[in-house]
Amino acid sequence: METIELLILLLKFIVFPGAIFCIAYGFFLEWFDRKLYAKFQNRIGPLLTGPKGLLQPFADFVKLLAKEDITPVGADKLGFTLTPLLTVAVSLFTLLFIPIHSLTGVLSLPGDVLLVLFISTVFGLLIMFAGYFSGNRFSMVGTERTGLQFVGYEIPFALSVISVAAAARSLEITNIVNYQVNILGLPLIVFTPIAFAIYLISALAKLEKIPFDIPEAETEIVGGWQVEYSGKKLAFFRLATDLKMVFVSGLAAALFLGGPYGPSIPGLEPIFYTIWFIIKTLIVMFILSNLRSLFARYRIDQVVHGFWKYMVPLAVLQILIVEGLIFMGVI
Amino acid sequence: MAVLSKLVKWARIKSPWIIHYNSGGCNACDIEVVAALTPRFDVERFGILLKGSPRHADVLVVTGPVTRQTKNRLIRIYNQMADPKFVLAVGTCTITGGVFRGAYGVLGGVDEAIPVDVFVPGCPPKPEAIIQGVVKLLEKLQKT
Ligand code: SF4
Repeated sequence: METIELLILLLKFIVFPGAIFCIAYGFFLEWFDRKLYAKFQNRIGPLLTGPKGLLQPFADFVKLLAKEDITPVGADKLGFTLTPLLTVAVSLFTLLFIPIHSLTGVLSLPGDVLLVLFISTVFGLLIMFAGYFSGNRFSMVGTERTGLQFVGYEIPFALSVISVAAAARSLEITNIVNYQVNILGLPLIVFTPIAFAIYLISALAKLEKIPFDIPEAETEIVGGWQVEYSGKKLAFFRLATDLKMVFVSGLAAALFLGGPYGPSIPGLEPIFYTIWFIIKTLIVMFILSNLRSLFARYRIDQVVHGFWKYMVPLAVLQILIVEGLIFMGVI
Repeated sequence: MAVLSKLVKWARIKSPWIIHYNSGGCNACDIEVVAALTPRFDVERFGILLKGSPRHADVLVVTGPVTRQTKNRLIRIYNQMADPKFVLAVGTCTITGGVFRGAYGVLGGVDEAIPVDVFVPGCPPKPEAIIQGVVKLLEKLQKT
């Protein structure tokens, strides 16, 4: 009996909704993002790789895996090899906490909101290490910018998540989802629209997408922190970015949009919940791609100023509103 | 193994990332290369992306003749790229030196400095011609 349970758990970790599903879905999200981005710019986007270009991210990944892997003389060999692997491992680990096929993730423990927030901070740190270890001046500039931007977006991101946790009076993702499904009956975005907006904006900064792609800024500092990475290592970084997209949109779905819950046929919940998860994350990605194609890159000081001057007070205001609503007994 | 190498070849053909370098041309070719990336021609259809770093790119797109000043830089950029790498030379200048041939600072075509896979003639070539050049390059890849 125990071996069977262990096997099922292992399958959950590796196949669904663990590693393999998440990687495939990450590739799909990248394709969705690129296609939408192209549509907004009046282009067509990937077209000839697989049906409608669906396999483009996969083709990029395989090509990079098969390319020569250069380690520059000036790089710190151990750190240079380790950071890409760690980045992928850490992003996969955080995804285990996201509820995909049921109201709980594969892993769930008390206080996992804080754990997930902490690990998503490690993303930023790993990017800084990645730039630092490659020993190139462009990546050094990229590292500095990552650090500075990190100071900007991390606090509003955490505050927006905290306001949701305050509304549900719980620090466990499962409980927050349960609260929306069973007690409130509404997704929390109804009461925390400001927090949702702040979450999306800081998520863009976390993913280093266009208005906040300052650390990569191809036109200024070539490729930022990833300038020296080639072949397998670059492939892993790209994979990690895709996984982060799944993580960010999945967490938004879980915290603000009622998790993977939706109308379903009794008995077939896992399938319907997965479909609802995909629909909700695609909505989040749609908003993110919109923002990405609407804006031009900000300057680094504008980003830090903007986050601290406007986002943090707004996030605090949102927490106050939530507390007021709880005090009045609305939620 | 055969399946794997087929997969890799398919991936290589489907995602050639380019880096663009002007080794001393008059800029018209560069404008045409950039035009190939814009909505009207949109080479992202074929999976082509413009990359900033030579370490990320597969195809080096060179425009203009090689001058004495840029020769070393061109060679250095070529050496920085990861294998397998290809060179696409755009414009008449890259073949013979074009209108700059014989000038005191000009060495001549791009093959004076680095090996070239495909030449695209024209002064400047149309974006269609550049895309045709890329297709020729991919055909060459298909045969290997
Ligand atoms: S080929 Fe003609 S257009 Fe192109 S760089 Fe040379 S002179 Fe200019």
